[in-house]
Amino acid sequence: MTFSMKRVMAIFQKDMKDLSKNIYITSTLILPLFFAFFYGRMDNLTIDVHYMVINLVLAVVTSFVQCAIIAEEKEKNTLRGLMLSPATLPEILGGKSLVSFILTIGTILICTMLTDYEPVNLSLVALAIIISILFYIALGTLMGLLSRSVVEASVLIMPVIFIFGFSSMFQPFAEEYPILSVVDYLPSIQLIEVAAAVESGSGFADVVGNLAIIFVWVLVAMVATAIVYKKREMDE
Amino acid sequence: MAILIMKDIEKHEKDTILFPSFHLEIAASEITAVYSTLNVRSTILDMLTGSIPSINGSIMINGVTLANKKSDYFSQVGICYFEDGLYERLTIKDYFMFIGRLYGFNQQYDSIFRITQLHEKRNKQIKELTFSEKKRVHYGKLLIQSPPLFIFEEPDLNVDMETKRIFISITKRLQEEKKAVLLLTGNMETAITIADNVYRLDENGLRLIQTENAEQTMELSEDEPNEDNKDKEPQPIQFNKIPTKVNDKIVLFDPPEIDYIESNDGQANIYIKGEAFTSSLTLANLEERLQYVGFFRCHRSYIVNLQKVREVITWTRNSYSLVLDDREKTQIPLSKTKMAELKDLLGLK
Repeated sequence: MTFSMKRVMAIFQKDMKDLSKNIYITSTLILPLFFAFFYGRMDNLTIDVHYMVINLVLAVVTSFVQCAIIAEEKEKNTLRGLMLSPATLPEILGGKSLVSFILTIGTILICTMLTDYEPVNLSLVALAIIISILFYIALGTLMGLLSRSVVEASVLIMPVIFIFGFSSMFQPFAEEYPILSVVDYLPSIQLIEVAAAVESGSGFADVVGNLAIIFVWVLVAMVATAIVYKKREMDE
Repeated sequence: MAILIMKDIEKHEKDTILFPSFHLEIAASEITAVYSTLNVRSTILDMLTGSIPSINGSIMINGVTLANKKSDYFSQVGICYFEDGLYERLTIKDYFMFIGRLYGFNQQYDSIFRITQLHEKRNKQIKELTFSEKKRVHYGKLLIQSPPLFIFEEPDLNVDMETKRIFISITKRLQEEKKAVLLLTGNMETAITIADNVYRLDENGLRLIQTENAEQTMELSEDEPNEDNKDKEPQPIQFNKIPTKVNDKIVLFDPPEIDYIESNDGQANIYIKGEAFTSSLTLANLEERLQYVGFFRCHRSYIVNLQKVREVITWTRNSYSLVLDDREKTQIPLSKTKMAELKDLLGLK
């Protein structure tokens, strides 16, 4: 099995063109942009607010777009044609992940411009965000494999938005209910911790633990995706 | 050389036999149609793609089996499913270019647009197209793919006349390019008009339905004694009602009510306003009775009421169809030899 970049690009371009005309999916981009615009009007934003917007982008844009474009292929009966073509599954998912990735980066850039967020150490923050994106892409792929239609996808995405997008809101409760301290290990909270540490002048060595935790999430999501895929293949 | 070889393929479902073991080979530049029910058809397609295992038998396409190497196998075959999806928001051009990149197509797209006659609509989104135009996009996809074996499932069901004509010319073109074509259809007219070899596949197995080539020789030997008979004893009284069986009742029909008659496994099915009635008579018997009241044997397995024919379509130099004047605009195959006869009958040269 050869991995052909040409086919990945073909799928990437096709999905980009398709998505640019898909109002249902692109309209979800408006939600984080609206939040960013809304908060951007206020002064002295804390790092938590900046990252609430970024985490929202990750949940709403990255996961949902990835999930929806996979689910739509199933809904419209086009996945079969794709599977019978020379394109292999890694190529198909690669092309789709690239779409979600670029869309996410673009939305995050616009959002940070709107909220005037300027990290002290850009490369470190960028690294943390990119690892997070990998997690959300894997999560989106997992949900895409589970859902059969775009409508199902938008139902599945709800808990994801709730858990990962608004997780910073649970933190105050964690002191009251110790069980909720698990929340601290969520990738979204870890991302905020990295950013907060960077703001206070920490270097790579200080945040490597947090990055590792996010990376474990990436691995868990990828393994879960692979298991679901294998299981589905057996069922059918 | 045979492109597709299906050996000892069979399928049992619980207590019933879907189809018993059969053997089918399709050579290059051969168009073969398999006439079957939906159930049989989807089983065959699933076996070809490997989603249903063909336990005792084997399927080989261009020397490659599915077990051999999956990607090689699928590069040998292009399947046009009846219910295939398209990327509705893409334009036809973008879609073709996507397929082209996927399959490493490096020729001009213009020829694909020309063959499918979608040139004027190339920049339209696929969702704006009619059903027939979408079908043509499917044909175009397969042409870009250009595998040695083309499989079409119900390629011309519910399409307009223009699209059917395009489809027939595509099959002829594929034949010239030495491709093998397999049609899976539930429409006998399609099968007979397009394919060289027509098979029926059901619980009784795979049987060849005789079409033109076999027909010509048989006709000659049959016809002559018949004509002698007619001269000798012209029948004085004609009882013109045609008996059919509905459950246990016998229903008599007036010949002018009948649209056409189709032979189905030695039995004649009489079609009246889209409904089929089984007749106990054979097609030859019926022909004899009906030829004096404006009926015409237009094909080995068809008799048509000429009063109901609206149009004669010429698809290519030697494939024709008759279109009836009913609501569905039913199409009936007209064989090449019968075309000449019909022209005589109509007083055309």
